[in-house]
Amino acid sequence: MRTRYVLLTIAAAVAAAGLLLVVTPATAQAPAYRAPRAPDGRPDLNGIWQALNTAHWDIEPHAAGPSVVRELGTLSAVPGGLGVVDGDVIPYRPEALAARDENRANLLRRDPVIKCYLPGVPRGMYMPFPFQIIQSQQHIMIVHEYAGAVRTIYMDNHTEAPADSWMGWSNGHWDGDTLVVDTTGFNGMTWFDRAGNFHSDALHVVERITARSPETLLYEVTIEDPNVFTRPWQMSMPLYRRVEENAQILEFRCVEFVEDLIYGHLRKPASQ
Amino acid sequence: MRTKLACLVAGAAVLLVPTPVWTHHAFSAEFDVEKPLTLKGTLVRWDMINPHSWFHLDIEDDDGTVVTWLIEGGSPNELIRNGVTKNTLAIGTELSVEGYQAKDGTSKAVGRNFTLANGERMFLGGSASRVGADR
Amino acid sequence: MHHRSFASARILAAMMAVGFMTIAPVAGQGPSAAASAAQAAEQPYTAPRTPDGQPDLQGFWTNQTYTRLERPDSVTTPFYTEEEVAAIEGRAATRESAQTEPGTIPDVHYDFTQFGLDRSQSTFARNLRTSLIVDPPNGKLPPVTAEGQRRAAEVAAARERRGGRWDAAENNQLDDRCIMMAGVGPPMLNTGYNSTYQIVQAPGYVMILVEMIHDARVIPLSAVGREPPPEAVRHWLGASRGRWEGETLVVETTNFNGKNPLRGSSDKMRVIERFTRVAEDTIMYRFTVEDEATWETPWTAEMPMRQIGGPIFEHACHEGNYGLYNTLVGARLEEQQAAEEAARPGRD
Repeated sequence: MRTRYVLLTIAAAVAAAGLLLVVTPATAQAPAYRAPRAPDGRPDLNGIWQALNTAHWDIEPHAAGPSVVRELGTLSAVPGGLGVVDGDVIPYRPEALAARDENRANLLRRDPVIKCYLPGVPRGMYMPFPFQIIQSQQHIMIVHEYAGAVRTIYMDNHTEAPADSWMGWSNGHWDGDTLVVDTTGFNGMTWFDRAGNFHSDALHVVERITARSPETLLYEVTIEDPNVFTRPWQMSMPLYRRVEENAQILEFRCVEFVEDLIYGHLRKPASQ
Repeated sequence: MRTKLACLVAGAAVLLVPTPVWTHHAFSAEFDVEKPLTLKGTLVRWDMINPHSWFHLDIEDDDGTVVTWLIEGGSPNELIRNGVTKNTLAIGTELSVEGYQAKDGTSKAVGRNFTLANGERMFLGGSASRVGADR
Repeated sequence: MHHRSFASARILAAMMAVGFMTIAPVAGQGPSAAASAAQAAEQPYTAPRTPDGQPDLQGFWTNQTYTRLERPDSVTTPFYTEEEVAAIEGRAATRESAQTEPGTIPDVHYDFTQFGLDRSQSTFARNLRTSLIVDPPNGKLPPVTAEGQRRAAEVAAARERRGGRWDAAENNQLDDRCIMMAGVGPPMLNTGYNSTYQIVQAPGYVMILVEMIHDARVIPLSAVGREPPPEAVRHWLGASRGRWEGETLVVETTNFNGKNPLRGSSDKMRVIERFTRVAEDTIMYRFTVEDEATWETPWTAEMPMRQIGGPIFEHACHEGNYGLYNTLVGARLEEQQAAEEAARPGRD
């Protein structure tokens, strides 16, 4: 009787283990982090965040390299980076790759951010500046320190972009604990980084933002643009919370800083 | 009936505050009051941008040459709140534009009045008679 | 395509959407005192709450107005009658939609009314006040101090030295340069057109997005009150911090960089704004300006903000600032042509 009980128990345990092996996903380890809830019950993504990588230099893997401005020496030399593009290489169409390389050969004249133009999406999310997520039920705002760029994410009443813009038109929804942001309506004039990686006005970006710990977010992006790429592709990176007690978005109102660059050659000559 | 602006200023001198600063003076430095024009053409593109939107119009010369003119218009933001989108004005829409040519001599102008092929005003505006009674 | 019927349909829609609320004078200080006293006796409006318990100011708002900051010299009362205001608005609307004289400078501009940018086609809360300024009681800015006058003279002299407006980009006003609209403040005076704000609230923060030029004021809230940034950190819009006093959001702003003076203000200016939702579709916006380096006393103004439908479309100004570029090109071309004319042989 006792032996049968033990045998049955062992059998049950083995069966249960077998079920666990079958049912549990292979990647299961510790339970995923569950972010505190915002007052409306959604995951709370409020805070000031910033990327800590070299994606703003070049989203593909790259070695360190010299600055394009000789006088700045190491101040604008390019640090190496492991890249944030899944699969490492952006799947450009052949003619688009040539255009990217032409951008790369003419960075000083072509990079829109040099002229303090709005950074677009997703570049704004990994510029070396903090941004703030201000989350309400109807609208989630992303306020960037760089150039005071602003994104409105419409959480309900989704509509199409009325017109094209630099930061696109974003419709968001929750997929479990992940904020999914679907953005179209780009004007095609922004870049992905300082290395000439670009897109057209057909760009379609889907971002997935998930809290992965109290001080980090997981930021995953799918890029689609049939004019430029042979297929959709992804990038991903952590975003870090600015934890200083007085953390705040400051002004980086850069128009003033580039006025001479843009209009200086149109200044009235001194002789007249 | 066109009336001088000055005649309509009321004696009580209630000035509009604050007027957008790039009215009148800035535009009259960009465009030439001595170069009025009327252009009739078809819309190639409407850049719904700020601070001012730009209409690209294909205008056919007398000799049949087609030149694309850039016509400066207003901010699209209020129109967007009124339901206007990039699909509202179809490519190929015939537009007649009264305005003034750019001082830099290129095929650019400011569009004072935009009129559709059927004679209607483009977008909004018109008589002031609806004001007052509805408020 | 819809455009053929668009104009009339939109005008109809705009007419139906237009609404107004009369700002009744405080009891005892003006006309309709009995009416306003009766109004006060009713249950005052209490705003709904955000999920975290803040009074809810969220939505899209406009502070479009016909009311001047200062009382006109010819006016001695703090309030117009309804009839007087209707007449003022009517005259202003007629002015705005009247055709300008062809061949004159005012005609060299797109027609505001075609783009809905004129006041007569705007939604706004009717205001019976004869000035936005409510204190000093004469509706005028306080006297300027000696230091304020000296600084004003210095600013004027510096402007003279810079040369003509079209000599250089930086000789232009801040809005022409697409740095900021002067009226953004704070205090937030209306910006002429597109005077639209979007308020979004989250625990610990109120964000006010000013349409032009996509300026998001992020205001941290704290029960205790947050310290201003260090002196060296100065902003065009200053640095703001807020707190709730009952139904009113009180926002204090310092650390102005002084490069966008308000009627001659200094970088020592301190602005206290108060936002109270007094009706479902109205926020009463009241602000006090303190600047001992400019005015002998603080001054206070009040203006209603009326709820409107959105959206706020991206106002990317600098990126599309072809006008400034074209104007500078044109100015240099004209100088060059004039120089060539003058250099032509045979001219006396």
